[in-house]
Amino acid sequence: MSQHQVLDSLAHRDLRVRTDAGAELGDAVMACLVMPAEFRQAQAHYPIVFRRDLESGTFSALALFGFDNGENLFLEGDRWDAAWKPLAQAVQPFLIGRAEPGGPATQVHVDLSSPRLVTDGAGGVRLFDAAGHASPYLEDIAQKLGDLDAGYRASAAFFAALERHRLLEPFSLDVPLADGTQHQLVGFHIIDEDRLRALDAAALGELHADGHLLPLFMALASVGRFSDLIARKNRRA
Amino acid sequence: MGEAEIRRIVILGGGTAGWLSACYLSARLAALGQKIEVTLVEAPDIPTIGVGEGTWPTMRGTLAEIGIDEAAFLTACDASFKQGSRFVGWTDGSAADAYLHPFTAPREAELADFVAAWSADGASGFAAALTAQDAAVAHHLAPRQVAMPDYAGALNYGYHLDAGKFAALLARHAVERLGVIHRRERVVPASPQPDGTLAALVTASGEAIPGDLFIDCSGLAGLLVGGALGVPLVDRSDVLLNDRALAVQVPVQPGSPVASATVATAHAAGWIWDIGLPNRRGIGCVYASRHCDDDEALATLRHYVARAVPGADAASIEPRRLAFPTGYRAAPWTGNCVAIGLSAGFLEPLEASAIVMIELSLRALVESFPQRRATIPFLAERFNALFTYRFERIVEFLKLHYLLSRRTEPYWQAQRAPETVPPRLAAMVELWRDQAPGPADFPHADEIFSAHSHAFVLYGMGFSAPRRSIGAESLAQGRRALGEVARRTRTLTSALPPHRAYLDTLEPGRTAAHGAFARS
Repeated sequence: MSQHQVLDSLAHRDLRVRTDAGAELGDAVMACLVMPAEFRQAQAHYPIVFRRDLESGTFSALALFGFDNGENLFLEGDRWDAAWKPLAQAVQPFLIGRAEPGGPATQVHVDLSSPRLVTDGAGGVRLFDAAGHASPYLEDIAQKLGDLDAGYRASAAFFAALERHRLLEPFSLDVPLADGTQHQLVGFHIIDEDRLRALDAAALGELHADGHLLPLFMALASVGRFSDLIARKNRRA
Repeated sequence: MGEAEIRRIVILGGGTAGWLSACYLSARLAALGQKIEVTLVEAPDIPTIGVGEGTWPTMRGTLAEIGIDEAAFLTACDASFKQGSRFVGWTDGSAADAYLHPFTAPREAELADFVAAWSADGASGFAAALTAQDAAVAHHLAPRQVAMPDYAGALNYGYHLDAGKFAALLARHAVERLGVIHRRERVVPASPQPDGTLAALVTASGEAIPGDLFIDCSGLAGLLVGGALGVPLVDRSDVLLNDRALAVQVPVQPGSPVASATVATAHAAGWIWDIGLPNRRGIGCVYASRHCDDDEALATLRHYVARAVPGADAASIEPRRLAFPTGYRAAPWTGNCVAIGLSAGFLEPLEASAIVMIELSLRALVESFPQRRATIPFLAERFNALFTYRFERIVEFLKLHYLLSRRTEPYWQAQRAPETVPPRLAAMVELWRDQAPGPADFPHADEIFSAHSHAFVLYGMGFSAPRRSIGAESLAQGRRALGEVARRTRTLTSALPPHRAYLDTLEPGRTAAHGAFARS
């Protein structure tokens, strides 16, 4: 049960956050949200796929860590085996809150139910120093939350452009493992390469002018990371 | 005779020095492929002096070389981390009078650049400006995180430990792992041979324990080096005036913060050491009998305990009384006998030099370990010159702490009397009015106290930074470095665990009261 609160230097003065990795810390996840602004870094580590939200009908992008719910093939004991994590993963257990619903002013919220939070013992990084000032770690988190918020707000235009040009296609991936078993990944979309290749100069010029071309090609390139993900799966099998 | 090989080492004495020697010599010489038999002989009923309870960072390397893992050491010895020494009341005795001599020397800039930038801008204390360790000590933080590999630290550190338990751990390790022969016998040395060497120790029943090389770890008694071989002590009580100590162990409340520096608090006629372990504090009052009688010292100690240790019954403490000489042997290596530990010299424990001198002696011995008797005279001469140099540098460094004081009590005035100040030290302090301490002042490869250590004491005690300009570029470099230290300080103080919490993870039984403490 999540328990979100506005982060407060008095109430949360003694909170420490465990920054190591682990299933018990909530890292056993198959995927997490990734913003178009992050695609350049993301495609070096993870496949990027798209998913349509059934209720709203809008798309979002995910970085894939595994093939099944709860499977994170980058998690090796207490180590996350990649040099970079998507912002939405890296800011755990913090999130962006707004002073008023829909308002412009953002706040740092914390999920007090997170197993990453400790108040005693020898683990974790402080959020506030003895004088109640933010620690460098919290400053970094605040910066990341700001980037994540900006990335999220910019992403709607990107997904709208993808739909306008019908650049997403449903995708299924057969995953044959070395032990002879067969897995299948379904329910996601990827960039439709044929449609992309067929775009005319005017469409490309518009996508480029709006800053969508770079993330588009990065998402396309990220499909190459599936071979790494399958290799990780085989090593676990 | 000169071709005779060195095969048998006999160590006399089973305290910290004896067992550290046994472990280090067997482990290191075996690693070097030498076939040496090590025997340690100790009388069954001699108590250890148990004041050497602070180590230097060198101990991490020593323990690793001996083959003891860090968590096991910390647990077995009730040890804690030591990040330096904090001096309270030494400058003028006012309420704000305190500074740290940290173990971490900053590497971001030359010391002179740091000093110039700090004195140009400095609002904060010298140690706080130069190293994150000052804040870590102020907040009672550990110098490392639990998950770091053994003996690695975010900040440089040594240990505080229970000396009795440390000797017991080393003894087990020496006998069970390193093949050291342990004999509990009351012995006397056989008379030296005509060439001035020892051939054997003789037990009460008349049995001879023969050796090629003898290590005298018999403590202040110096049974071999002083008793049998008659090597005199070079008296330095003309420089360092303290000659008495009262020592006591005070239990602490579970969950109470553990200091990660030795606290040395000045009093009217000496100073008080305070060494925090997870379960107790070792506290001692050092004084000069010419300026303070035993009852005054006891009252001073009780007053300190009442003020500094929450929940302690200060009125009922009954400390052990120690009278100590101040000095060292000019020839700790004489014939085929090497004095290591208090038998080689004793200086007041103001900068915890006792255990590190044991380690340095062992390193020097192993580095040029004699293969044949023929090389011994030359090696001994070199060893003796090195350790005379080191003891003299310690004497001078300790004296610096007194020399810079502005306290007005008769004892403190006596400590500053010009006739008690070694001429070399007086000349250096004069030089440092013009320029910061630097490498040229400390030319040896393994100087016991570096230019940085001297700077931490000088500027910690309010000594004026040199007025000589060092140039705009150096000043800019110094300022950049101070900025880096400030950033590192913020990062480390948020990432390092509380010292108490770290130690309690090693000993879950101690954790019980922690939760309550954290919320108080």
